[in-house]
Amino acid sequence: MLEIGPIFRALMRNKVGAILIAIQIAITMTIIVNAVFIIYERSQKMQRESGIDEANSFYLSSAGFAESFNAKVSIKEDLAALRQLPGVANAIQINAIPISGGGWSMGLQTQAGAEYDGVGVAVYMVDEHGVDTLDLEIIAGENFSPSDIGWRETAQRLWPDKIIITKSMAEALFPDDPFETAVGKTVFINDTEPMVITGIIDKLQAPWVGWDRVENAMLSPENLNYESTRYFIRAEPGQRDSVMKNVEEFLAESNTGRIIRSMRSIEETRERSYRGDSAMIKILTTVMIILTVVTALGIVGLASFSVNRRKKQIGTRRALGASQGAILRYFMLENFLISSVGVFLGAALTVGLNVLLVNQFDLDPIDWFYIPIGMVILWIVGQLAVFGPAKKAANIAPAIATRTV
Amino acid sequence: MLKMTEIKKVFRTDLVETHALRDFNLHVDEGDFVAVTGPSGSGKTTFLNIAGLLETFEGGSYQLDGEDVSHLNDKQRSQMRNEKIGFIFQSFNLIPDLDLFDNVDVPLRYRGFNAPERRKRIEQSLDLVGLANRMKHLPSQLSGGQQQRVAIARALAGEPRFLLADEPTGNLDSKMANSVMSLLQDINDRGTTIVMVTHDQELARQAKRNIYVRDGKVSELHEVSELPDAVTA
Repeated sequence: MLEIGPIFRALMRNKVGAILIAIQIAITMTIIVNAVFIIYERSQKMQRESGIDEANSFYLSSAGFAESFNAKVSIKEDLAALRQLPGVANAIQINAIPISGGGWSMGLQTQAGAEYDGVGVAVYMVDEHGVDTLDLEIIAGENFSPSDIGWRETAQRLWPDKIIITKSMAEALFPDDPFETAVGKTVFINDTEPMVITGIIDKLQAPWVGWDRVENAMLSPENLNYESTRYFIRAEPGQRDSVMKNVEEFLAESNTGRIIRSMRSIEETRERSYRGDSAMIKILTTVMIILTVVTALGIVGLASFSVNRRKKQIGTRRALGASQGAILRYFMLENFLISSVGVFLGAALTVGLNVLLVNQFDLDPIDWFYIPIGMVILWIVGQLAVFGPAKKAANIAPAIATRTV
Repeated sequence: MLKMTEIKKVFRTDLVETHALRDFNLHVDEGDFVAVTGPSGSGKTTFLNIAGLLETFEGGSYQLDGEDVSHLNDKQRSQMRNEKIGFIFQSFNLIPDLDLFDNVDVPLRYRGFNAPERRKRIEQSLDLVGLANRMKHLPSQLSGGQQQRVAIARALAGEPRFLLADEPTGNLDSKMANSVMSLLQDINDRGTTIVMVTHDQELARQAKRNIYVRDGKVSELHEVSELPDAVTA
């Protein structure tokens, strides 16, 4: 028979230790639940797809320094040669690398005029090989043709008259219409320069992984007549590492008037870009583990102390007819009651801390189901922690009741 | 009611074997009131523990209320203690964090009685010991004699057929000791079998029968009227 009433009344008469443990459980739950929520959000963020073939792609910088270095010629020759190298699926010149942390952004607006707000968009300048090299899928409209590609000079402010945008960007520009209807529509850059949307791609993330519009990107049909530039190369599946080595050697040897540097795979770039999130996850996980262990040890300590202090009581209960199972249940139930106070207090504190985090750090509000899951986990931790001392109590011999010392 | 035949109990350490009981024989009839006396270390407490199923024994046989208890497992022994035996301890062994009601309630909960039945029994047994009006008091708010009365109420609430008392007046002054003894005699008069372990020969004389234990054996067995001066001194 459960002894909730007597246990509760006994706890109320001797409550300091129980209250301290309940508070510890509440604080642990508050921190753990919020930490799990943050970890989940960060994990989701880290698992977002960039839209490109990350496993097989890499990039590098080429910087011309010789007086005779001709960027336009060099870029044309480099791209033609790179596309012929064994193991290279395709290659492009590009102004910025997705999820790398650095790039170009502009605003696109549906109506011309400085009085209208634009929608932020990451700009990738690529030629007609861009869609294939980045491994994108055109889901509406069409790719650029070779004749669409122009050369951008270093001080140029004018933009091409065609663009390809992501589906997310189409939905941001024309929220009331199906995304595919954006094809053929005109948008404006630099307030008044018209550009016609000729294609929609399924997905391409911006360079800035922490940007709230990271899915907004556009392809602009341009090569850059810059002495310092980047090449983005997609290797055939499984050949990236060997291709990286070959490409670096080839480019270094093919033109001694420039240097090749900053060669990096997209996988490495992803790791670098999400390093802060990854560190945050590790730190929060460590804090959660430490807190859980400390709380469990606190429960073990209180329960062990309680068992040692009540040995004679336990022996007396055994003498009066309590089975070992009844003694085990008594301590498990006692801990359950203490944990219950802790987890309900913890539920309130969890919401309070989340409100604070939402207001101070712009986090999302916690999903409701985290709280009952957290409660159940803390209940389980409590029951596991108390099981050892409770088992020890159950093994106390009833004969201890007749001992006078 | 209680029949012990050739009971043996040995306590062992790495270096020493102590024979606490050797060929211990005792027969207690239903309704009897037996006082067990003997010097310290004679085996009185070991006898009490075995009689109350608090300890196991190694040889001989023990029948309680007609049932051989030597093959019972721990759970069955717990159940038998709960249903058939009432315990009264020298230090009362009340649970300090529980009030009198909850203290008396402890064995009744293990018995599985429903709440109204438990309340009725608690009230009746506390009334019997004259403490029905103090049910919500804590043990620490009572005198030693009152605490022992609560312990007696707790022992009686389950209506056991057999009461085991371990030095029930050992921690009480003589006035309170007499009061508790008189209560035990009343209980015995109502038909409950009592075995009482005590050092106090005066107290032992108030039982119906005395046994004297020495070196783990029953060395003398007397009706109270036959007690020699040497034993009662």
